[in-house]
Amino acid sequence: MIRRLFLPSFFVLLAYGFWVSPDFNEIAAGVAIFLLGMLALEEGFKAFTGGVLEKLLRRTTDKLWKSLCFGVVSTSVMQSSSLVSVITISFLSAGLISLTAGVGIIFGANLGTTTGAWLVAAFGLKLNISAYAMPMLVFGVILIFQKARHMKGYGYILAGLGALFLGIHHMKEGFEAFKDSFDLTAYAVGGYPGVLIFALLGVLATVVMQSSHATLMLIITGLAAQQITYENALALAIGANIGTTITAIIGSLSANVDGRRLAGAHLIFNVVTAAVAIGFIYQLTGLVDTVAAWIGIAPDNYTLKLAVFHSIFNGLGIVLMLPMIDPMVRFLTRTLKPRARTTAEARYLNAANRGLPDTAIEAARKETLRLYDQASEVIAEGLSLDLDEILSEKSIEAMVTGARKPVTFDVDERYNHNVKALFAQIVEFVSNAQSTMSPSQSNELFALRAAGRDIVEAIKDTKHLQKNLSRYVASDNENIRREYDQIRMNLAVVLRQLDTVRRQGHDSSAILSLDSIKVEMKRYDKALEIKLNNLIRERLISAPMSISLMNDSGYAYHVTKNLVKMGEVLFSTSESALKDAEKSVSLDEAELDELAQEN
Amino acid sequence: MKIRKLLVKARSLLDAKERKSKVKKKSIKHIIKKLRKREKALQGRLKKEPSKSKSAKISEQINLTHAQRKKGLKVLKKLKNP
Repeated sequence: MIRRLFLPSFFVLLAYGFWVSPDFNEIAAGVAIFLLGMLALEEGFKAFTGGVLEKLLRRTTDKLWKSLCFGVVSTSVMQSSSLVSVITISFLSAGLISLTAGVGIIFGANLGTTTGAWLVAAFGLKLNISAYAMPMLVFGVILIFQKARHMKGYGYILAGLGALFLGIHHMKEGFEAFKDSFDLTAYAVGGYPGVLIFALLGVLATVVMQSSHATLMLIITGLAAQQITYENALALAIGANIGTTITAIIGSLSANVDGRRLAGAHLIFNVVTAAVAIGFIYQLTGLVDTVAAWIGIAPDNYTLKLAVFHSIFNGLGIVLMLPMIDPMVRFLTRTLKPRARTTAEARYLNAANRGLPDTAIEAARKETLRLYDQASEVIAEGLSLDLDEILSEKSIEAMVTGARKPVTFDVDERYNHNVKALFAQIVEFVSNAQSTMSPSQSNELFALRAAGRDIVEAIKDTKHLQKNLSRYVASDNENIRREYDQIRMNLAVVLRQLDTVRRQGHDSSAILSLDSIKVEMKRYDKALEIKLNNLIRERLISAPMSISLMNDSGYAYHVTKNLVKMGEVLFSTSESALKDAEKSVSLDEAELDELAQEN
Repeated sequence: MKIRKLLVKARSLLDAKERKSKVKKKSIKHIIKKLRKREKALQGRLKKEPSKSKSAKISEQINLTHAQRKKGLKVLKKLKNP
């Protein structure tokens, strides 16, 4: 009820404010234009997340100091800690970075966001930035109408920056005019009650606008127009830092447990830092005065002093919390536990990583690998073998001849229970994620879906194979038993070789070595034809046996073919250009036939 | 740098088709290098392998890698002289 009434009442309140005061109208419009600029900026940077940002993130998270620096630099460039934290959460939920690295980035982003205050306090208020805003908006919008994705990206960034400048200009103008008719400083509250009240106001303003940047701009422009006292401005800035975590929390709702843990770390960092800053506000103010005097800032230049405070306050947070990262990660891992999942539930697919093309592809790849893990277990059991033994160093021949128990488990039931539901989630994810992708990225995603289909086909063929295999694996007829053992051995070799290639996915020559399975498959098929003729002619197996063997070797052929096709796509971790090159060097049917005949 | 050279560079940067072909050539070269390395490693293993059956398997792998490398060279040649 309250929720439903909130928005209309807020609108009525704002409309009344606009009617009473045109200056308030201008300030609010400034905030709205600023937020519009932030949205455009985020949209622009998202256009470049299909590569550069993700590659950078992957390379810069192996050490804590690197993640920290990445957080500082990326937030300084993009001027949005929210965007950086949302991208970090989606990376974490796709399993691309560790929680510690994610926390490092978030800490860095907190420091990076202080550059905004510096820029506006140092230049934004002195220069007539609206003069730059107009051409930026015009050029930006023209670029947005271009077809090329990166041009659109530049357009959004330019138009976004233009809107930010224009927004700041309107806020500044509004406060200047407001000053003549109304004195907001009359509502200033001194002492600790004032600090607490204004910190709370800062939280509220940031939660409503979902941007600490916008709150900070309001504070700075208000401070410059002497509509807020310096002490109250500091408290508002502290509040804005807590309020900004709301974006990360909202972003983590659709993410997995690691994403929620990261949002938790963000909240802990900002709340602890704010609590320390509020507790020691007077000591911090003294420190700001000293630093400001040291770097040559005039004692009455409160806007720049606010920027100094913002940096010191966030820097202090990093110094305080950096040694606590490991205990904090342990605490969050202990407190926020993943909910119990069935094997059929997706681990990496979620709305958080669906919007970022490369992350979505990686998430789909990891989930399809899980699908393969489920499937290889079903296939191994369908052959009356143990997957762990197949993937060990043990002799496959000894393993196969030693396992003569007929298969008792139901392949169909296992398929419906573990595989089908997971595959359905992959298919749904791929369909939804590809709408924001470039054609080459979509193709990569579709190839992964096709790999999933190959896995499912392989299971279905195993099911057909299992019926006779179960009967002949312990048959008294040594000849038919030997032939079925050969089929089991061939498939076990395929599973083992696929596992070896999977572990060397970064090496194109390993992926290409899968061609050897194809050659082997062709050779076996040819040899079986001759062998089958001999077995029938010499009456070593009955006619129904020979038909079963013919059909089942066909099923085994298809299992192998589908698994190899899947492996070529799923196990290759190379970039798309290398993947295409792998395909063009891989041997075609005629070349494979030639090799199969050669040896 | 001469103007003509500069123009060629600018064209190759702006021409999407040419840029794509450059990336493709680079990728094929990379794979050929990897295959050559693999072939050499397999030849080294073959020399040390006492078992006849295992030697035969390694020989087959060498033949396959060799065939792929040859195909890679053919593709590269085509890309260089379309």
